Amino acid sequence: MTTASEVLSSLQSAFPGAIKDPRVESDARLWATVDPKRIYDVCKYLTDKLNFDHYSGSAGVDWIANNEMEVVEIMASHGAHPVVAMLKVRTPRDNPSIKSLTGLYWNADWYEREIWEMFGINFENHSGLYPLLLSDELMGVWPWRKDFKGYPDLTTGQRAVALPTANGYTEFRIPPTPAEIEAGTVPKERPKYPSFREREEAEIKSDSEMIMHLGPQHAMVPGPFLLDILVEGERVRKGFLDVGYIHKGIEKIMENRTWLQGITYTDRMCYVASLSNNECYCGAVEKILGLEVPERAQYIRVIVEELSRIQSHLIGTGEFLTLIAGVGYAPWQYMIIDREHVISLIESVTGARLTHSFVRFGGVRNDLPDDFAEKCKITLPYIKSRINEFIELFAQDPIYDLRMKDVGVLPAETAKEVGIAGPALRASGVSYDMRVEDPILVYPDLDFKVITGTKGDCADRIDVRLREILESIYIIEQCLDRIPSGPIKPEAKVPKKVPAGEAYYRVEDPRGEMGMYVISDGGDKPYRVKVRGPFYATLQTLPPLLEGVYVADVVAIAGSMDGCPSEADR
Amino acid sequence: MDGIIESITQFANQEPAIFALIIGIIGAAIIAGVVNVGAMLLIWGERKVLGDFAARFGPNRVGGRWGILQLGADAIKLFTKEDIIPAEADKGVYVWAPIVASMATMLVAAAIPFGALHINGQDYPLVVANMDISAFYVEAALSIMSIAVFMAGYSSNNKYSMLGAFRGMARMIAYEVPMGVCVISVAIMAHSLNLVEIAQNQTLWYAFAQPLGFVIFVIALITDLGRIPFDQSEGEEEIISGYNTEYSGIRWGLLYFQEYNNALLGSILLTLLFLGGWQGPIIPIPLLDIISPLIWMLMKMIIVLWFFIWVRSSLVRLRIDQVTDLGWKWMLPLSIVNLGWAVLVGSYFA
Repeated sequence: MTTASEVLSSLQSAFPGAIKDPRVESDARLWATVDPKRIYDVCKYLTDKLNFDHYSGSAGVDWIANNEMEVVEIMASHGAHPVVAMLKVRTPRDNPSIKSLTGLYWNADWYEREIWEMFGINFENHSGLYPLLLSDELMGVWPWRKDFKGYPDLTTGQRAVALPTANGYTEFRIPPTPAEIEAGTVPKERPKYPSFREREEAEIKSDSEMIMHLGPQHAMVPGPFLLDILVEGERVRKGFLDVGYIHKGIEKIMENRTWLQGITYTDRMCYVASLSNNECYCGAVEKILGLEVPERAQYIRVIVEELSRIQSHLIGTGEFLTLIAGVGYAPWQYMIIDREHVISLIESVTGARLTHSFVRFGGVRNDLPDDFAEKCKITLPYIKSRINEFIELFAQDPIYDLRMKDVGVLPAETAKEVGIAGPALRASGVSYDMRVEDPILVYPDLDFKVITGTKGDCADRIDVRLREILESIYIIEQCLDRIPSGPIKPEAKVPKKVPAGEAYYRVEDPRGEMGMYVISDGGDKPYRVKVRGPFYATLQTLPPLLEGVYVADVVAIAGSMDGCPSEADR
Repeated sequence: MDGIIESITQFANQEPAIFALIIGIIGAAIIAGVVNVGAMLLIWGERKVLGDFAARFGPNRVGGRWGILQLGADAIKLFTKEDIIPAEADKGVYVWAPIVASMATMLVAAAIPFGALHINGQDYPLVVANMDISAFYVEAALSIMSIAVFMAGYSSNNKYSMLGAFRGMARMIAYEVPMGVCVISVAIMAHSLNLVEIAQNQTLWYAFAQPLGFVIFVIALITDLGRIPFDQSEGEEEIISGYNTEYSGIRWGLLYFQEYNNALLGSILLTLLFLGGWQGPIIPIPLLDIISPLIWMLMKMIIVLWFFIWVRSSLVRLRIDQVTDLGWKWMLPLSIVNLGWAVLVGSYFA
């Protein structure tokens, strides 16, 4: 088993002088600053020699006091070892630029584009540095830099005005005020790039092809994102994705809220999985604080998070079924009805149906109600029998097979390479689950299997989700048997100010690997919160899967990913 | 009672042309009412039954706890909605598509027997135009709906609609042929193309006499009606209602309504061809014995329609290439096998 210190010594011997300020936090976390000139080679070395085959994302940080920008590359492995290497690359604040990793990792594309448009850090050799989340008018203002003042200035009370554009449509915009122009908040020069429309239209090769919009308003999309497909008759030739329609800038907002207030914002990232979002944020902060969570609170957290996984998988599967069968399809209604029972259980603990804000630093908000175990003993066996029924139903339905088998096949190697997350990755046969890879809370003591599929087609993805519900029920049953009595909050009061430090914490969200990178500068607010969302990673893999399929398969493939655009556009 | 019937028969014998004209005018008015009211009840019934299948209530607010006036409320909404015609649409075709669809249903309804009245030990079929080739005519008129669907989809100048129109056309071509062959098989066995005679000649239901043909006809009929699992031309979740994406208000209402009209007529056709029509034991109660063929007819229709709704709530939609595959590679050859069977058995019985 490779440990963080072994990785470090191997790196130091291979790149003498390039690795600065190394910090081995635990066996599974390595922090280091890498020479910007060598980052590409270091990553290549990690991937080729040390099995770091999972590029987990990257975070931008604006160190305005040092007049520096930082990009943190998060490197992990798909199950070969548990080490996560956090490699920092620093670049001067004026004209920041670092080497792109897109040549090494296919999925680095979106992470780098996000950092580029939010922080203005240029990525050398990146082939398509186009805006992803921001609208065109916000390009060039670099909104996540620390000196961003807001654009346009809404305090002036100005109304949006209609501006005609070149293509005949009218845009409504709030024009910048003269003061803003004078102060230089409004960018004098915007980056030049072809628009999304121009990029996709350049792909049209013949008259028989056309571009069809599936989104941002479309029956297929679970929330607004734009999936354009280039079709020739019924065949899809290429898919194009545009996200950012409901980008909320939660990472930036959290920098301006106290540590505790931040929990509420994590709820809103993905409202069907808000408990694991809570957990991810609180866990990261607990790591910086060095807080120990009481055992009873750990069990409660596991119970509610697994319940939340059950309800999320139920609605994910149910919604998907409407896509291939229409809303008249009865099983989808059954799933929603069953989900209601699970939600009532969560509600009896947290007091809320969807946005719980239940997990707190070092514990949970309140204890389980007295009759919780009895309620679970009624509900869980019922859900279990229903899930078994669904599995049997789908196994017997020949038309379901026709639509789902061998559709959207993602082989294990490709799945790892494109960085797809969660059940979709496990359906391809890759056993990669944060509860095992990076165990938190009491998961190491619990007995459960990581469910994997064989082929990685749509049927597998649904099957994995359904069988994961059974595993979750098994976990909850174990927890209810073992849960000790005791405190649910730390004895000492949690300080308002968090000491300076940083932490990266990973949980298994219903949609896959969710990580939060939290930096504290010792104040009462986070200095930076970076969310590595699972659906952001999964969504990116969609276009290559769509090449060559039928139009009807597009909804089957996109739906089987169990989307939550709200979390992709956090 | 006997006197009235006698004088009517006398008049019919003396002036057959005028009698046919009067029957036609009265009949047209009646079928327009019966079919449309029937379709309204069917829409309500489908929502209720579909709700039952999904452990829901279905409509339960408008018009008491059974929600019987739900459709009236919907109709008022559709009538008062703005009628939008896309600027780039082919206006003539766009406007005419729902009308053609309505005409198609009425054409079918004209030749289809809705049942019979049992008077003095004899069945008097309730049919407006009793033609010699009504089975063939009805099957042909039923497919005019596909042309209306194509008109609607093609004229909308919408990408979703166009895909829907093409899908509808591809499906229609693949399934009209096996469906027609099945009708012919039935006609061969019944020695007649007249629906009335086909219904009356069924001592053994043709569903049992030619089970293969029955299965093929049911599948082809569901396809013709554009119901799940064969609603590719709508494909609500992929091509956004397909051919009627751009329709709004009452024009959309007409198109929607015709689907249900067709489902109703389709169920009648299926009952007539394969389920013995209105035949059944006569209820030995005065007055009820007169309408007892109608009651049997209605019961069979309800079972057929209930089956359609059951299918909708339990099957997923097929892909268009799978549909056409099924049509050309399985349904057509099998329907021809069934035709051979019908010829064999039919000539034996003859």
